[in-house]
Amino acid sequence: MPYAVKEMASNLWRNRLMTLAAVLTVAVSLSLVGAALLLNQGVSRAVGKWRGGVELIVYMTPAGQPYPAATPAQIRAVRDQLSRDPEVKSFRYVGPAQSYREAKQYFSSQPDLLKVLKPDDLPTSFRIVLRHADQAAALGRRFEHQPGVYRVLYNRQAVDAMLRVTDVMQIVIAALAVVLLLSALVLILNAIRVAIFARRREVAVMKLVGATNWFIRVPFMLEGLVQGLVGALVAAGAVFGMGHLVSYLIAHFQANLFRYALVTGHQVALTVAAVIVLGAVIGTGASALGVRRFLEV
Amino acid sequence: MIELQNVTKTYNHGAVIALRNCSVSIAKGEFVFLVGPTGSGKSTLLRLVLREELPDQGTIWVAGKNVCQLSRWKVPYLRRNIGCVFQDFRLLPTKTVFENVAFALEVIGRPRHVIAAQVPQILDLVGLARRRDALPHQLSGGEQQRVAIARAFVNRPLILLADEPTGNLDPDTSEDITRLLDRINRTGTTVVMATHNASIVDRMRRRVVALDQGRIMRDEARGVYGHV
Repeated sequence: MPYAVKEMASNLWRNRLMTLAAVLTVAVSLSLVGAALLLNQGVSRAVGKWRGGVELIVYMTPAGQPYPAATPAQIRAVRDQLSRDPEVKSFRYVGPAQSYREAKQYFSSQPDLLKVLKPDDLPTSFRIVLRHADQAAALGRRFEHQPGVYRVLYNRQAVDAMLRVTDVMQIVIAALAVVLLLSALVLILNAIRVAIFARRREVAVMKLVGATNWFIRVPFMLEGLVQGLVGALVAAGAVFGMGHLVSYLIAHFQANLFRYALVTGHQVALTVAAVIVLGAVIGTGASALGVRRFLEV
Repeated sequence: MIELQNVTKTYNHGAVIALRNCSVSIAKGEFVFLVGPTGSGKSTLLRLVLREELPDQGTIWVAGKNVCQLSRWKVPYLRRNIGCVFQDFRLLPTKTVFENVAFALEVIGRPRHVIAAQVPQILDLVGLARRRDALPHQLSGGEQQRVAIARAFVNRPLILLADEPTGNLDPDTSEDITRLLDRINRTGTTVVMATHNASIVDRMRRRVVALDQGRIMRDEARGVYGHV
């Protein structure tokens, strides 16, 4: 329908500032929606990996603490207990050299700290995988007061705490996205209203000579669709960019803990598709509402 | 072609009565003057025929259809049978004479070759062939009304409604416009013209339906404006 396309293009151009505002709001809000979706997927991937791995860490007292460092005999005692315990599926001892290597990676962005850090300052540890994850607390309690043990870390708690943080983040981002999506809706609605007002003479003549309701409506609906879609495309680019930026950052700073949170290309593509569909729905929805509200036919 | 049966129309929940129990029948090819003071119900009657509004009571038949029972989506197709002209012309100021007339065909989906053939023909009929590229503000009032008539008639409607088409025009131009409507009537189109212009009504000696306060006071086959 070339007439509808011509009308739509001229509406958009006459009203370009309003169009720009609507498109940008759609873009920002859908970028947030995309970010929330990516975060959600990344977190559920990471949790799977984290949960499947080590559940309990027993740290031995390092040097430089107010109480004496763990002796080799104390370390051997913990090792013996672990190898005898039926609840322990497997465990591995991380000695001073490897602890230092891990710390170097972990604090790679803080060279000053690394300079004063010596291998002996770091606690050595046992990384324990349990047969039943719910036994972590019971087992941990047994080691907590054993001589030479610095502290016991429950990974599950750490993961759960992390999950709570990401849950809150997702809720905040989603709430922000909803507010912005609503304002995008209102902006598109207003753009349609202005377009209808600017075209009121044409609309009156069209009604008079018997143009069908849909013929009158379609240019305005297309206008909303285009605004939603263009905003969505910008947001899709942002989502795509975010996916790449995150994987670049993780690789660049060797943030290995977060490597598990990397989403796959497939997931990014799905998110991009969701963002575009959402943009089209918002645009058409807003203009349908506008046409119903402001165009009496 | 147009038939009103016991039509009553009120506004503001019955506070204003625009038409009271009106019955009138207009046959195909008739030329009818609708006369009466301001607020007598002339415009309401035309709006009901156009199905811009529905009556409170009574039935209205237009071009063989009961407009009171017409579903909403069929209304545009009804209106394609009805041309409409107003006192204030209602032309699109950014479009040329040709484009204004072509617009009426364009928006009902007529193909381009039909538009290219019919618009010059109708501009010829209303005597504006040489002004086809002028914008409305470059035209005199009479010329603008001719464009409006061309737009109303280009689709060859069965009925032409004119709501005080000479209201803004001087006596000579009013004559011309009325003569043009008369010519259109001679092609078989039913013309209903609401007017205040007594001299035109008296000279034409056509059917006159006189309204006052929503009632039909007079319906004469070859009437005059008279005093109601």
